[in-house]
Amino acid sequence: MKNLFQPYDVSLESEMLEPLDFNRRSRLKETDRCFKAEILNVIRLTDMEKLFQVRILDESEGERFSFLPGQFVMVEVPGYGEIPISISSSTSRTGYVELCIRRAGIVTGALHRAKRGAHIGIRGPFGTHFPIETMKGYDVLLIAGGLGLAPLRSSIFAVIENRADFENVHILYGTKSPDQLLFDYQYEEWGRIDDIDLQVIVEEPDNEWTGPVGLITKLLDGIEIDPQRTFAIVCGPPVMFKFVCSRLSEQGMPMRRMFISLERRMHCGMGKCCRCNIGSTFTCMEGPVFDYWTVMNLKEAI
Amino acid sequence: MDRTQWLLTESQLREWVRSLLDAGNSVVAPVEEDGVLLFRPLTSEERAILAPSGKTRWSPKEFLFPRSEPLYRYTLDGGEVEIENPPAPQRPQVLFGVRSCDAGGLLRLDEIFLSGTKDPLYAARRESTTVVSMACAAADPECFCTAVGGSPVGEEGSDLQLVPLEEGWLLRVLTEKGEALFGDVDERWQDAPAAIAKEVEKLERRVAGQIERSPVKQEWSKTLEDGFEHEAWDRLAQHCLGCSVCAYVCPSCSCFDMNHEANAWCGEQCRSWDACTFAIFTHHASGHNPRSTHQERYRQRVLHKFAFKAEDDEPFRCVGCGRCVALCPAGLDIVDTVTAAVAAIREEGADAAR
Repeated sequence: MKNLFQPYDVSLESEMLEPLDFNRRSRLKETDRCFKAEILNVIRLTDMEKLFQVRILDESEGERFSFLPGQFVMVEVPGYGEIPISISSSTSRTGYVELCIRRAGIVTGALHRAKRGAHIGIRGPFGTHFPIETMKGYDVLLIAGGLGLAPLRSSIFAVIENRADFENVHILYGTKSPDQLLFDYQYEEWGRIDDIDLQVIVEEPDNEWTGPVGLITKLLDGIEIDPQRTFAIVCGPPVMFKFVCSRLSEQGMPMRRMFISLERRMHCGMGKCCRCNIGSTFTCMEGPVFDYWTVMNLKEAI
Repeated sequence: MDRTQWLLTESQLREWVRSLLDAGNSVVAPVEEDGVLLFRPLTSEERAILAPSGKTRWSPKEFLFPRSEPLYRYTLDGGEVEIENPPAPQRPQVLFGVRSCDAGGLLRLDEIFLSGTKDPLYAARRESTTVVSMACAAADPECFCTAVGGSPVGEEGSDLQLVPLEEGWLLRVLTEKGEALFGDVDERWQDAPAAIAKEVEKLERRVAGQIERSPVKQEWSKTLEDGFEHEAWDRLAQHCLGCSVCAYVCPSCSCFDMNHEANAWCGEQCRSWDACTFAIFTHHASGHNPRSTHQERYRQRVLHKFAFKAEDDEPFRCVGCGRCVALCPAGLDIVDTVTAAVAAIREEGADAAR
């Protein structure tokens, strides 16, 4: 715990790091085209969230579709509209993508009523991604709050599937209550992997909950972080990643090594409609994944 | 400079418009409808108003970036979806009698739609559009083009320019596209003497002199961005009603919405004008709204015009037509707002808490 409460040193920012080279475009370069896709499976996760496995109908287009962890697609439900949804599946999975979707509005409401076999459209992938390649050889903190596990899950897969490339790996996840836990059927699998520290915490436990209780930052208490050897990905609501990231920077971690995904309403995904603007920054093009230093320097970002 | 220019009489000018129509162009020009000056496609050259008093209520941007346009249509048949692309661009279009400020506004739209991923619908329409601007014979009370780097006889964004002079209309060719608009030049057209440039300067001085607004300075962008959190914005935005008329009449505002219009059998995905001053513009389905107060939204619009820049020497996204000033139901004036914000930030420091 030697680095705990060491004051944050801004000079560390300078030694880190060229701006990351974000490979925004996938091999499928036609982001203005909507691909016909089919819902293969609908998996109920909680009362509010479902996991949709979606396959592009045209086989060759489906094969060319690739993405990187943290990127998102635009999902169109004919007759209802189009929404940005981050991809939750593994980048190595071909054939279909998994989209974890909360029932919140008109389009997601329609999706939640949709049955297996229904046709939808997807465009993308869009946006920046988590720099998994750069993180190789480092300790990795993967931290999610609530629905934040949806955009993080793809990175979890990327780390797990290439476990030998990383040093210590911690996966921390917190929600309000146990019935909001997403992908609870996978914790067992992830937790059993040698040398992966998986911890789940809830704020308001029910009678059956035996795990830790409190806010996600509480889990950080038990973890020793080598600030110079660690990368963190933090996904969740702004209030959550703000607390987590400022806590990590108190421990001496450079802000450039913390990555977060910003949520914005997006309609075009091509830097045209201005809906996702933060100042002159288009979240759909220059985000949604930003390093925390950049986010702190964007006004109105949080 | 040796440039192609002619001096036309009114009947020659109308004849030219006639020939443009006959050549199959859609000629969009200011006409009067129910006492309101509007851009409309002409059916006859007689309707075009060559010496308008005042500017059109709306900018001509809707002829490149329609208020609402289908991106594609689809039909549903059982589980099958059939997708149909929108029709290919229409016949060539001439935007006639566009004010200098509005022509500059079109360039601001180009920045959005033609940089990065090219918008195919916009690009096709832009490609087939020629802009014939009309220099201003007089400034309107709301005009402030000179305050934001423009000029009543500015050439920015025009392919051809008409300058109303006492001797007649001076027609100048500015681009190759403009030149291509002529088939054969009418032999009766009178070449303008080189000395006419003096007359144009005189007109510019006279009209610019009617605009009594102090300039918005380039270096203010930095000040405004630094003072983003300044408490002055609460006060300055207090009267904003969020009606967004400013964004709708603005020649350079380009925010849009992607909306579905559909029933159980068919539908279309449309792109429609939208505005960052609307409360639901950034509202997520989850309930989170990054710009939840009207102060934040008004500030966003003003700063997007004057402060947020990728490059330091980028021109303002405001061209000074003044429509937002004239039509704001709350009487907000974007130049006054910017001036007051800069003054407050300079006086109280950028960090004065909100």
